[in-house]
Amino acid sequence: MEKDAIKVKINGRRYDLNVPPWKTLLEVLREDLKLTGTKEGCGQGECGSCTVIMGGKTVNSCLVLGVEADGQEILTIEGLASGAALNPIQEAFVEHAGMQCGFCTPGMIMSAKALLDRNPNPSETDIREGIAGNFCRCTGYTKIIESIDAAAKAMKGGA
Amino acid sequence: MVTFYRRLPKFDYVKPKGIEEALSLLGNDDEGRVKVFAGGTDVIPKLKGRLMKIPEVLVDLKGISDLRFLVHDEGRGLRIGALATIFEVAHAPFVKERLPVLSQAARAIASTQVQNRGTIVGNICNAVPSADSAPALLCLEAEVVCLSKTGERTVKVEEFFMGPNRTILKPGEIVKEIRVSMRPGGTRGAYLKLSPRSKMDLAVVGVGVTAVREDGVLKDVKIGLGAVAPTPMRARKAEGVLLGERAGDALIRRAAKLASEESKPIDDHRASAEYRRMMVEVLVRRAIHQCLRN
Amino acid sequence: MEAYSVIGKRVPRVDGRVKVTGEARYAADHEMPGMLWCKMLRSPYAHARILNIDTSRAERHPGVKGVVTGKDFKGWRWGWMPKTRDEAPLGEDKARYLAEAVAAVAAVDEETAEEATELIKVEYEDLPVVSDPEEAMKGGAPQVYDHVKNNISWEFHMDFGDVEKAFRESDLVREDRFETGRAITGYLEPPAAVALWDSSGITIWAAKQSPYFVYRHLAACFRLPLNKVRVIQPFIGGGFGGTKNDSLAGDFCACLLSKMTGKPVKFVYSMEEVLMTCRRRHNMIIYNKMGMKKDGTITGMQSRVIADGGAHTAIGPLTMYLTGCMSTLPYKLPNFKHDAYRIFTNNPISAAMRGHGVTHTRFAAEVQMEMMAEELRIDPVQIRLKNAINAPHETINKVTVNSCGLSEGIRTLADRPEWKGREEKKTEGSVAHGVGLSGTAYLGGARQRGHQSCGAVVRLCEDGSVDYLTGATDCGQGSDTVLVQIIAEELGLRVEDVDIKRVDTALTPCDAGSYGSRVTVLAGEAAQKAARDVKDQLARFAAREWEANPEDIVFKNGGVYVQGSPDRAMPFQKLAQIACYSGSGAVILGKGYSQYGLEVLDFDRGEGNSGTSYSFTSQLTGVDVDLETGFVKCTDMVIAHDCGRPLNPINVEAQNQGAAVQGMGQALYEEFKMDLGRTLNPNFVDYKMPLSMDIPRIEVIDIITDEPSGPYGAKEASEGAIVSTPPSVVSAIHDATGIWFKEQPVTPEKIVMAMKKRKSGG
Repeated sequence: MEKDAIKVKINGRRYDLNVPPWKTLLEVLREDLKLTGTKEGCGQGECGSCTVIMGGKTVNSCLVLGVEADGQEILTIEGLASGAALNPIQEAFVEHAGMQCGFCTPGMIMSAKALLDRNPNPSETDIREGIAGNFCRCTGYTKIIESIDAAAKAMKGGA
Repeated sequence: MVTFYRRLPKFDYVKPKGIEEALSLLGNDDEGRVKVFAGGTDVIPKLKGRLMKIPEVLVDLKGISDLRFLVHDEGRGLRIGALATIFEVAHAPFVKERLPVLSQAARAIASTQVQNRGTIVGNICNAVPSADSAPALLCLEAEVVCLSKTGERTVKVEEFFMGPNRTILKPGEIVKEIRVSMRPGGTRGAYLKLSPRSKMDLAVVGVGVTAVREDGVLKDVKIGLGAVAPTPMRARKAEGVLLGERAGDALIRRAAKLASEESKPIDDHRASAEYRRMMVEVLVRRAIHQCLRN
Repeated sequence: MEAYSVIGKRVPRVDGRVKVTGEARYAADHEMPGMLWCKMLRSPYAHARILNIDTSRAERHPGVKGVVTGKDFKGWRWGWMPKTRDEAPLGEDKARYLAEAVAAVAAVDEETAEEATELIKVEYEDLPVVSDPEEAMKGGAPQVYDHVKNNISWEFHMDFGDVEKAFRESDLVREDRFETGRAITGYLEPPAAVALWDSSGITIWAAKQSPYFVYRHLAACFRLPLNKVRVIQPFIGGGFGGTKNDSLAGDFCACLLSKMTGKPVKFVYSMEEVLMTCRRRHNMIIYNKMGMKKDGTITGMQSRVIADGGAHTAIGPLTMYLTGCMSTLPYKLPNFKHDAYRIFTNNPISAAMRGHGVTHTRFAAEVQMEMMAEELRIDPVQIRLKNAINAPHETINKVTVNSCGLSEGIRTLADRPEWKGREEKKTEGSVAHGVGLSGTAYLGGARQRGHQSCGAVVRLCEDGSVDYLTGATDCGQGSDTVLVQIIAEELGLRVEDVDIKRVDTALTPCDAGSYGSRVTVLAGEAAQKAARDVKDQLARFAAREWEANPEDIVFKNGGVYVQGSPDRAMPFQKLAQIACYSGSGAVILGKGYSQYGLEVLDFDRGEGNSGTSYSFTSQLTGVDVDLETGFVKCTDMVIAHDCGRPLNPINVEAQNQGAAVQGMGQALYEEFKMDLGRTLNPNFVDYKMPLSMDIPRIEVIDIITDEPSGPYGAKEASEGAIVSTPPSVVSAIHDATGIWFKEQPVTPEKIVMAMKKRKSGG
């Protein structure tokens, strides 16, 4: 039982890694690459806290093996801001109180990003469905939905 | 002893490039030493929870391009390759338009994140009685193409399920694809899932219905039920009273009641058998109406 | 009323940026060089004597550096009060609940630690399990503790006025049985910590709402002075009371293993572990009796409460106290008798959770009051207006209320289109619409027992930037932001100019922590006073500079000036420099404390104020009920919340919304299914917390009452709505179906079966 060599692009940067097959992508991100922004909540693919974008799609990184990420392009929460400038979704979450304890926030923002990439003009129902795989226990979702709506408007160039 | 595992157990990982390689890895293993997977959304939680025998080798099918397809044509119908994801199937224009029961069922599974990795083939191989794709595939009389070193065989989806978490697959066998032959033009469908929340739940009751109506008469009607028997099942008696008849309210009610009587639910911590049986009646009635309205 | 600069404004969270970028570090994000991983081994029995533990094979396993069992803690126990110290870091004589921890391993990585736990051999003597509290109370039931008769963990008896006479003089008396259900906090961050025990003592980065409880527990357990136990707060991924306000097996084991190995030790619980073993809300059976005059006046109430305490006492006595002491609000109650029993069972431990204690009895009383109003043909608005207290008010058990927006809240809701139009939108096909109301009070500024005070230190840096040290923890509720707002307001600064440091028991003042809705109220008071202390010191420097009176110096908009003389002005930073560099330099520190000297709470009789002030929440909930399937969808919630004055309105909205959805989860979906101590659904598919698709439209309306005791008039704003939600949901379901449900959660199956029973004349 040995490590496997993988090549993966994360937040625009290429990595050559050696990972044992039983390490999940979430563990590789957090422990090998020290990208601790992505969180482990349930570890079972139920809570969505570990959501990252892989190959352009949201996945629960706790259910993906590190070795399965070979050849893939991955975007995590750390890859959204450009230096000091926050991504519009991040800005909106701060302004509209879309986060409280912040634990679900990285995964939630990744789901929001994937939603807005797919559908830049979402209705409230679209937004609710877009984050339906992400639990939040603090906010009751209302301000998350408002934040995503505000982000969508900002990204289209004004409310 | 009780240990709550956060880490996966140790195993080797192989990603074959071709079907033959995969099948030869599987060999005739009947001890669970070799396990194939695609999306991993069922296998990985089970491995973490030590709820299955830990394999020595995990075989990733995602390198096999011959399994990666979702195609349709008027002649052969729809072919869902082993690697077609739930999301792809749910949103494929052809499936939404011509096989709405399957598109609705696929959309009801778990979450977008799970749908982006999980496969329809994986959904039926996991074979939980509440699997959402199953009632739809039963209505569509889908066929499952199974492959082993010794060759290929095709089984009806209804025979594929043998019991909770048990399929007809023999050691060394994998599912290559699911085939849905072309439905007559004008086939409508609906999948209704009963659960306390609006998302993420396992179905307490799942009902799929397809129907063709010509000149007011039902020429074809199929009813698939999930979560109300050891395997997903067809409600044939209910179908029987509807076939060839005009679908009026009273007849639909009668059919729904028959479907309820045919179902064999159990009491479990999610719901009682009595409630499930009552809900089969309600959902079958609604699914038929919805079908005929679409 | 003067205009505030930052108080009352919709200020974004000061920690918002680090949370949306992933930069915020939580306990499990911490690691240290040479760190070991710790894993717990747990009991497979809900009740068993531990006969022998053989750790030799685990100790020999390559990669294992240390193993501990119960006896390594030398009989030490902890508990909320000296006489309730019944919990050991690891089960020693017995395992009293399923998966109680009995041993722990430290190894080079988590996989190895997990493998090694399987090598520990424990011999158990399986004992009979008691899991039903009413059965447990009877003579002859299995004893969870040998010395505790009838498994009674705690009891409270309160008796005010004369309930028997009240009932005799009533026109209507009802007796009903209610059950509140098995719910849990549901935070997404599992408990975790990294502990290091070296020559400086213990340092632990742990996910805690109240680090000062933990440091006392660790100090007592390991016989260290408090100044050698350092708990450093990372960001916390949600608390909601209970677990993160207390210590757990992992904390003690990681510390001891660190001492043994000389290395830092980390543990992270799994979510399944949390759902099966961590503290959860008590399930309570409430036998409630209420009397009413035919005009709707409540004459008296008698409650008998039986709570499933689980295997240890924890903070249970306080829970039981709160079930009774707050029953005399929000309605006038001249006669009240309360008998509450907390019962040991072999279930996981029940403890505090948002809406502590009050949630249970308010549910019963609110629903029963409406049932009686219905019998008397009195409208839900009128029954509340008739009985609502008005400030100032003293209850029969000496709870004093200085501000109350309940009636105003109810009137606001009565005027809403959702209420006024409820008859029109009744039934569409098989879906019936219903609207319900509720009213509640909740305490803030909890002042009950033990160390309950706050301190604050405001440090002026020489360039005019400000540092703020507080022991109050923001576990997500936004207290850091509000406290910074208070300091900024006092000093006339912007929020960005004040930096709040992470709570660190070595450096920050002692604080009781985040519970009982006390942080804004009490830590806020301390912050305000500390800021004023700095202001006073600076004012003296300014007065000298301008030959003015210190009382005439105004701090506003980043500047300082003499009242009425705007030409004598300078920027705050300049004054700070002048002050700090005067003479050989001055060190400007401000200190503040929360108020002492409230009347002593009579814990045994149930008399007195358990908090410094009380919020009042009135709520309207609309539901659509599918009468054929029982499926309930909440469509609207309007929450009229009296928190005195919202210091940060967006935060108050957010807290109310979050509390309401958590309450909705309890009312409709969340339920642990138990079988003789075993949790059958320890996962998020089957323990059903609400998701984005489940929530209604939620509107929060501020009812302003300007509480005299609170900083800037503030009262609590985070627990009222979790109390008001379940009764309003049940009332709405009744409006839609005509059926009163007295047990939570009100699941679709319960609705269908109740309707079926009613139809068949049952």
